[in-house]
Amino acid sequence: MTSTPTPTPTPTPTPSIPPKPPGPIELGFALVDERELAVFAHHERVTRDDYLDPLGDARQYVTLPDDAEPTHFFLGSEFCEHLLPSLEAIDRAVALCERWGVTFGLVTPIACDSLFEPLRTALARLPAGGEVTVNDWGVARVVQREFPDLRPVAGRLLGKMLKDPRLPSATWARMYPNGLRAGPFREILDNLGIGRLELDFPPFGAADMYAGIDFPVGVRAPYGYIAKGRICKLGSLALDVPEKFSPGHQCRRECLGFSEVGARPGTRELQTSQRGNTMYYRHAPGMTAAIAEAVANGWVSRIVLSGA
Amino acid sequence: MKITAPISTPAEVEPLVRAGARELYCGVVPPEWVRRFNTSGVNRRVFGNLNGYADLERVVDNAHALDAEVFLVLNAQQYGEQHLDALTEIAAHFRSIGGNAAIVADISLIALLAANVPQLAIHVSSVATCRNVESARFFAQLGARRIILPRDVTVAEISAIATELPELDIEAFVLNDGCVFEEGTCHTVHLPMNKGGPICIDNYEFEYRAASGEAPAQRALRRLEKNDQDYKRWLWYRFGNGFSVAPNGYPWGPCGLCAMPAMHAAGVHSVKIAGREGASERKVKSVELVHEVLRRIEDGEPETKVRECAVGLRDAPSHCASGYMCYYPEKRSRQEVASYAEPA
Repeated sequence: MTSTPTPTPTPTPTPSIPPKPPGPIELGFALVDERELAVFAHHERVTRDDYLDPLGDARQYVTLPDDAEPTHFFLGSEFCEHLLPSLEAIDRAVALCERWGVTFGLVTPIACDSLFEPLRTALARLPAGGEVTVNDWGVARVVQREFPDLRPVAGRLLGKMLKDPRLPSATWARMYPNGLRAGPFREILDNLGIGRLELDFPPFGAADMYAGIDFPVGVRAPYGYIAKGRICKLGSLALDVPEKFSPGHQCRRECLGFSEVGARPGTRELQTSQRGNTMYYRHAPGMTAAIAEAVANGWVSRIVLSGA
Repeated sequence: MKITAPISTPAEVEPLVRAGARELYCGVVPPEWVRRFNTSGVNRRVFGNLNGYADLERVVDNAHALDAEVFLVLNAQQYGEQHLDALTEIAAHFRSIGGNAAIVADISLIALLAANVPQLAIHVSSVATCRNVESARFFAQLGARRIILPRDVTVAEISAIATELPELDIEAFVLNDGCVFEEGTCHTVHLPMNKGGPICIDNYEFEYRAASGEAPAQRALRRLEKNDQDYKRWLWYRFGNGFSVAPNGYPWGPCGLCAMPAMHAAGVHSVKIAGREGASERKVKSVELVHEVLRRIEDGEPETKVRECAVGLRDAPSHCASGYMCYYPEKRSRQEVASYAEPA
């Protein structure tokens, strides 16, 4: 679908926080469906095109610096406890990363208590120096305490910000500022040994929204997430009442086979989609340019490509 | 087990406490806040707040006189760093007039209140999406005394957390107002209805796509569309049966009455009734509903009898039979659900 969205980024003529000299940009690809590892397994080494191609048409909403080459590869879901990769898939991904010379990262969701044991088993398969994207404070505690040789990254679910693609104007967005620069937030991440923050680029965002965070920042592209639930419409497909649309049930991972794409009628908003329990918006050209500006100014040091 | 009820005016204190609530929660937007930040965003709700500090003081005095506690919501999902000092001042003022606890989601604010207003208990809001033991321990370490679990947890999960952490008070949802997404991971605003309302019931027109990018096969599409019809029906229940009330005046909406015996047995400290923005009558009726079930539990009635009573209270058991009105549907067997639909 062609999208000419109304939420365009606010220009940043004179950022109050001066640019930092940009270091080498890190480039990651985040895969949720472990079956797609088969595609990557063909590569003796990975290039930026190998990371961009799986995005299909959406790759046009990614602008990378000329020197950006793959440095990281991630496997797992930020949004669903039923999508923890199998141990075989983790082993395969770790081996691929060793072959390619990139760092492996396991992506983890908000956890229910029954997820912790499988998660511990999965984390034990990671090599020293591997990354863990944490989206749950409890998981962060476990990583710090039991897996001190892994490097936790705060995921998008911990970096709260308003991301409603339906907002009528930038004024609405300004009413709900984020707290990413707050001293206690920084201190809490430090105390948990978290050394990096992964964020979205929100509707009505600007390049300098990442300035002054005083933490290495990665940005997901070309999709941001709007909302995620624990109730899953698609994951209820094979369930009967009263199990449908309630937490705590196994699903058949229907979200890996189907998604929904669309918009609100009569609007020219960002293209929106829903996969499983999560709603996403696709970046627009202006947002892509703003992320590139943030990279050029040294406010963003990693781009993580992922689908919706 | 205590009943925690919402209030938005001092006049609601007495009827709610008389109906059985022992804990009340409320919000306030001080005029200084609006002047300073040009927004009313002290908490999650634009409406349903008390009308200033004088009302807040009246609420605390009236509630304490009736042996009830008062909690203040400072529960935005996130605050800007420029807000934190002002929020700490609001919390300190609340404590100075005798307020009992602040309900907070933002971790920076939790840390700041624990350090600067240590006499004020901190209740971790459901908006913080704390739903496992390790996460609860994290918030306890930050200074929390109570964890308000998010809506979409199972009774087994609630019980495990309550049993594992007896030093923390655990509060769980029991009635009214259901989010579709998890509150703490829904980064939207409830727009005015003429601009779309909550995103989960906004008028999106979606088309299914298979992983290949093509339209799904016809057979799959039929199953998906049938599932969509079920989902729409569930949404209707999730939003208070189309924002209506039962013929006898009791509220519809997500309900956990049948799970109360199990929560009571697990040592859950409080059950939460949502809906600060609701009408006073709805709040009172909600407390009556929950109190009737709690009374039977405390009188030692068997769990099956309590559940039978809970299903009959609204005098329309067919809605319970739908299976879509429950916060904790796993507490009822298929046979039980079917029996509600049959005439006595």
